[in-house]
Amino acid sequence: MTKTYLINRTGVVLMALALFSVSCKQQLDLTPIDSIDATKAFRNLSDINLGLVGAYAVLGTGDISNTTLVSDEAMLPSENATGGGVATHRWQYDGSSPSVTNAFSENYTAIDRVNRVLAAIDMVPSSAAEALIKERYRGELLALRAYAHFELIRNYASKYEQGAMGVAYMKVSEITSPSRLSFEATIAAIKADLVAAKPLIPASFTDKSRITAIAVPAMLARVALYEKNWAEAITYATETISLLPLATKAQFPDIWKDKSEAEVIWKLRKASAADGLLGNIYFNTNNTVLYAPSFKLMNLFDKTNDVRFASYIRIDNNRGVGKTPNIVNKYVGGTTTVNLADAKLYRTAEMYLIRAEAFAETAKVTEAATDLNFLRLARITGYTAQAFATKAQLVDAIYEERFKELAFEGHRFFDLRRRNANVVREPADAINALGAVLLTPAQAQYSFPLPNEELMANKNMLQNPLY
Amino acid sequence: MREIVLSGPERRSAMPKNILSSMTILAVVLMLSAVGAVARNIASPMGLIRGRVTGIDKSPLQGVSVIVYRTNIGTVTDEKGNYSLMVPENGNLLVFSLVGYTTIQEPVRNRTEINITLQADIKALEYVTVTGYTNYSRSQSASASTVVTSDKLAQVPMTIDQVLQGRVPGLTISSSSGQPGQNAGRITLRGVNTITGSTTILYVLDGIPIESNYFQNINPSDIETVTVLKDASATALYGSRGSNGVIVLTSKKGKSGQVSFDYKSQYGFSEMSSPTFKMMNAAEHLKFEEEVGLETGAASSGPGWTYSKKNPVYATKTAGEQQRYDSILDSLANKNTDWRKFFFRKGKFMEQQVNASGGTDNVRFYSSLNYYNQDGIALRSGMKRMTLRNNVDFNSKKLSGNINLTLGYSSSSFIESEGATSGNNPLSAVFYALPYEYPYYPNDTLVHSGNTSRFPVMDLREGSNALERLLNTTNKSNQVKGILGGSLNYTIFDGLVAKTRAGIDFRQSSDEAYINPDSYAGSRVSNGRKGSFSESSRRYFSVITTSGLTYNKTIADLHNLEVSALFEYNFRQNASFNYTGYGIEGRLGETPAGISPGSATAFIPVVGGARGHSALASYIGIGRYTFNDKYTLNASYRYDGSSTVPETNRWHGFYSLGLNWEAKKENFLSDVDMISGLRIRTSYGTTASPFSSDFGYPALYAATSYGGVPGIRPSTPGNTDYDWEYTKELNAGFDLSLLASRRVRIIFDVYSKRTTNLFFNRPLSYTSGFSSLLLNAGSVSNKGIELDLQVDVIKTNEILWTVGGNYSYNKNKVADLGESGEFTKDYTAIVREGLPLGSHFAPKWAGVDPATGNPQYYTKDGQITTTYNAATLSVAEFGSYIPAVSGGLNTALSWKGLTVTALFSYMDQVYRYNNEDYFNENPSFRTSNQSTRVLYDRWKKPGDIAILPRIGAARNYTSRDIYDASFIRFRNLNFNYNLPAAFVSKVKGVRGIHVFVQGENLKVWTKWRGFDPENGNEYARFSYPSPRTYTGGINVNF
Repeated sequence: MTKTYLINRTGVVLMALALFSVSCKQQLDLTPIDSIDATKAFRNLSDINLGLVGAYAVLGTGDISNTTLVSDEAMLPSENATGGGVATHRWQYDGSSPSVTNAFSENYTAIDRVNRVLAAIDMVPSSAAEALIKERYRGELLALRAYAHFELIRNYASKYEQGAMGVAYMKVSEITSPSRLSFEATIAAIKADLVAAKPLIPASFTDKSRITAIAVPAMLARVALYEKNWAEAITYATETISLLPLATKAQFPDIWKDKSEAEVIWKLRKASAADGLLGNIYFNTNNTVLYAPSFKLMNLFDKTNDVRFASYIRIDNNRGVGKTPNIVNKYVGGTTTVNLADAKLYRTAEMYLIRAEAFAETAKVTEAATDLNFLRLARITGYTAQAFATKAQLVDAIYEERFKELAFEGHRFFDLRRRNANVVREPADAINALGAVLLTPAQAQYSFPLPNEELMANKNMLQNPLY
Repeated sequence: MREIVLSGPERRSAMPKNILSSMTILAVVLMLSAVGAVARNIASPMGLIRGRVTGIDKSPLQGVSVIVYRTNIGTVTDEKGNYSLMVPENGNLLVFSLVGYTTIQEPVRNRTEINITLQADIKALEYVTVTGYTNYSRSQSASASTVVTSDKLAQVPMTIDQVLQGRVPGLTISSSSGQPGQNAGRITLRGVNTITGSTTILYVLDGIPIESNYFQNINPSDIETVTVLKDASATALYGSRGSNGVIVLTSKKGKSGQVSFDYKSQYGFSEMSSPTFKMMNAAEHLKFEEEVGLETGAASSGPGWTYSKKNPVYATKTAGEQQRYDSILDSLANKNTDWRKFFFRKGKFMEQQVNASGGTDNVRFYSSLNYYNQDGIALRSGMKRMTLRNNVDFNSKKLSGNINLTLGYSSSSFIESEGATSGNNPLSAVFYALPYEYPYYPNDTLVHSGNTSRFPVMDLREGSNALERLLNTTNKSNQVKGILGGSLNYTIFDGLVAKTRAGIDFRQSSDEAYINPDSYAGSRVSNGRKGSFSESSRRYFSVITTSGLTYNKTIADLHNLEVSALFEYNFRQNASFNYTGYGIEGRLGETPAGISPGSATAFIPVVGGARGHSALASYIGIGRYTFNDKYTLNASYRYDGSSTVPETNRWHGFYSLGLNWEAKKENFLSDVDMISGLRIRTSYGTTASPFSSDFGYPALYAATSYGGVPGIRPSTPGNTDYDWEYTKELNAGFDLSLLASRRVRIIFDVYSKRTTNLFFNRPLSYTSGFSSLLLNAGSVSNKGIELDLQVDVIKTNEILWTVGGNYSYNKNKVADLGESGEFTKDYTAIVREGLPLGSHFAPKWAGVDPATGNPQYYTKDGQITTTYNAATLSVAEFGSYIPAVSGGLNTALSWKGLTVTALFSYMDQVYRYNNEDYFNENPSFRTSNQSTRVLYDRWKKPGDIAILPRIGAARNYTSRDIYDASFIRFRNLNFNYNLPAAFVSKVKGVRGIHVFVQGENLKVWTKWRGFDPENGNEYARFSYPSPRTYTGGINVNF
């Protein structure tokens, strides 16, 4: 073995290694396969739409399930052994309970997605022809931001009155530790976004699964209701009613089977089981009624003449021993996928009720009664108009009507809170509540708690009082 | 008769069989290489020596190397244990050695026949430290490592990772599932280094890194040794992948000589072990219902109240009705269904194996075929496995190499929803089901919630629904796994070897789940109510190549040097695809052909999947220098670049240094008979741990959809400073053996690790759109000791009785969290400076108020309150779910061919949240069955001193649910009998027979109240408990 021979051999091996290493270094520059790099997320206007859809995607239906659990519209039947929601139903929740705290992260996530798209919308190239579409997207984004903040304040404001604790208003996507605004400051910011959005969405855009030109005044009307700004409530409710009439008695049942969009202003579309099965809160596929309509609610209906009763509630007396015959039927849907149903967020009926309440509060008793009677006439066969002597009677009647009309649509608990009214369960509805029959504003659980994780991560964020 | 000629360079390419030789033989070999020239010159007259080598059971030992001391003259024994050897005149010492046996140096003393009995080497002191890059004898390694040998692995019906429990100090293994086909669960080495990063140990099989958690298709009988590398001097060789520890598996290699066959057959069964808490029987539950009715007024709580004499309604009934009520209650109270009979069974077990080994000095092979069939203790669960292994080693003058192949196919069937609290999980249903519920009507109809209107019952069918589901669904997983590795070593010149090694780890898993459309379970499928069929395919592929040079040189008989320079490239890829179809045609059943096509309104199938990839490139330098066989310096440097790190931090260097001192070889100790061996080592080095995600650093968007319309959403906020977690580890230890023939053996190590740049999710205000942001900050420390003590209590030529144990203690502490501050993590834990990771964080339970029955909690300043608020009350005083102490106790007795071994494993200072109690002792679930404590230990009236509050009180999570989960488990008892040679020799062609029986998981001593103290991690929740298993079998050697 000569020395040169050795050097040659070693040299060849080393060269081979060196070549190999160079090619491998380049092999390290791998890129994600299943994700999109943030710098390439928004390249054009259709990407903006994708981002906007992504913001809609996060909106949930916690209002509906939580209102069912904590208010007097539903009861826990004996056949429900799942334990699901029972602690919430019995008002045993705090900042560690996912049921009532989920809406917090959910809505802020939606807001952040909106803010990211808003930041990108003016960066992407768009032709003059696309300007209208771009402005519509901007309108939807602003209205969506307002909606999500309104959901936050509905769920987490300490009270719905001046000086109460509201929520932080996020206008840009950023990692900060904001503190809570007052209730009125939050409302002002929500209104500002809605007012800015209003002119941007053209009437020609009619996709009910998204925010349309009709939805913005409807949202403004509801905001005004919580603000007790009766003048604005009347203005915006009137505007909405003029854009979309009530459903007929024939159309009404089809709304809940998603076969009709009559009087539906905006609904969260649920296309497949992956989007969540709204009806599962009430009647699962295990043939178990998890939460049944309360007797308190059922007894308010004219069961034969009121078109709403059969649309919302089904009575099945053949379910067997120990099973409740009363089933919430509102979200069974109209497809073979049982319980797949769209969540109706705004309907014209609510606008009549908002306007009636605003009229009543502004001493326009006649106008208020007219609106209330008009709605009842549209729902109840053979209804004759009633007269109301006092404002108090009217408000009570409007509340009762809201209870019936908007049952299982996520309103009842918040409606009671608007007037600091107690949540009262009747004995027949409390057979499994183990004593949870009265919830008053003096109890912590009368307002929903902020999630504990938020309080730990953000020292500026304060919990609602009494927790 | 063959002569073994050993020379320097070929020793470098020695096969693991040789690698596994004891220190003594290696020491001899080293000397041989040094004095080889001298030895070859010996030409003096020779004498013939014959003899026979047997084991302690008098069975012949084949393949024992017999070498004349300080020469390269030697031979190996034949299949009858016989040898004959020409010994030069001045050869006065013979060295007998065999893998797994104690080496003996026997003086010739002018004899011509020398018969030797070798004892199985159960000392851990002299194994070679196999790191995957180096094979150093323990006397030349500074590494703290533990070797587990094949005799402890082969017979136990478990996966290779589970078998290690209790065997390795510092290795903590929690078997969270006892379901066949599942892996060990949580395995950590020397504590947990990370908050959110990976805790996964790196597994290396014959030099090829393999996937953790997929050991179903690795046959433990094919594994010769498992080497657990613990300290930085060994783990730093793996650089950025090393900080969680490395477990190196070495498969069995062929032995030269006549081809020999082994046949192993074992059968057995498994059964359920019992939980340590009691559920109510029928009469108890009815009484409970009655009490609830009385205590809460109008509550509807079940037939126990509805038909009770104490119910005000009872008095209003006619005498006839009252009689009927009484008889209803009476018949329910006597029902007492044993739900275990419906969900559990005795699981059968069977294993068959054939292996063959043989070859020449130049080519050797080991092949095995194994079939394994294990039924689980829960209905429907079980695993079948077939594995093939084929190892070929070859060497010629300059070239040597090997090819190692393992192929495995396994088919597992699982229960529904393991570990879930839903009633679909048979392990939870067995508790939820009411004792007076019986699944079948007298006409054998299974009554479930779907037909109770026709077959009225008075319960909620929780057990029957789960049973119906179990009988009408399937949940299967098939797995094909292949690991292929090969290496070539070429000696360029004496001492310099060019090496290359390549390997592939491949897995394809196919999972299937089916719900029978014609069953009640099928009618519950929301999409279409006609069953479903889903299938998923998961593929994993990883390739690695390692190439470089190794140079070895001995200078002047004093200095021994070995240095290597290597380049390594590792690429990993995974892909998955899945679909679920609906509207199944029942006659077709479990096939995609039965799926209805989706239409706008019905049966839309769900499709999903994912892709991922990562790459790692490394430059590795390794060196060892040994002076005079006494002092060894180990050093390594590895420069890693990974695609999982942003470009700015992509490349990083890792190093280690280690010293080993063979103190016994010093003059001042050589004459101390009391100390038969002493070795002192220390090491220091740096490592990092790999990331659990391929792309954790960029800000990313992912696809989403709303109402069937596609959209995008931000998925990670991104962090450009993303970097590795770096661990620095200092280790010091010694190996000490005492008394002649080393009857007392102690291995002791103490270590201190600090992991900095901790990678964790800093919690964010939800207003940022994310709940957390990944960042690198803070540090965690792990300090601990490890001890392994083995004592030969009796050691004669006839009897060997060894008793031993190992103990490890790890003190884990979060040292620093940077500006992030403390945060809660997972279900119950808080990450807080000064506390160990995994510390439970809960309001402190203050018992039940005897006056009101309300639950009470301690405020942080020790006051008692009845207002529950997890945010303000929670304290971290309840220990951690990561055990601080773990270990094992072992004993082995050998006498005349009979060997009895026993193993106990234990853990201490570990606390878990018993989530099962949350369901079994909760008013929200009072219509399900509950623990007897809910009946007997519940507050009922003022003055009651009770464990559980009144029935109407809130059931909140408190320290009451956190229990001590420490335990001692009687892991294994094994009787092994080698049939006497006299008997065996009568059977033609058979060289040896041994029979064995063993019991696995025989008993657990624990304070834990649930199924099994090992079930789960931070919380225990209806996991599949480890069964008690008995097997018996036979091994025949041809």
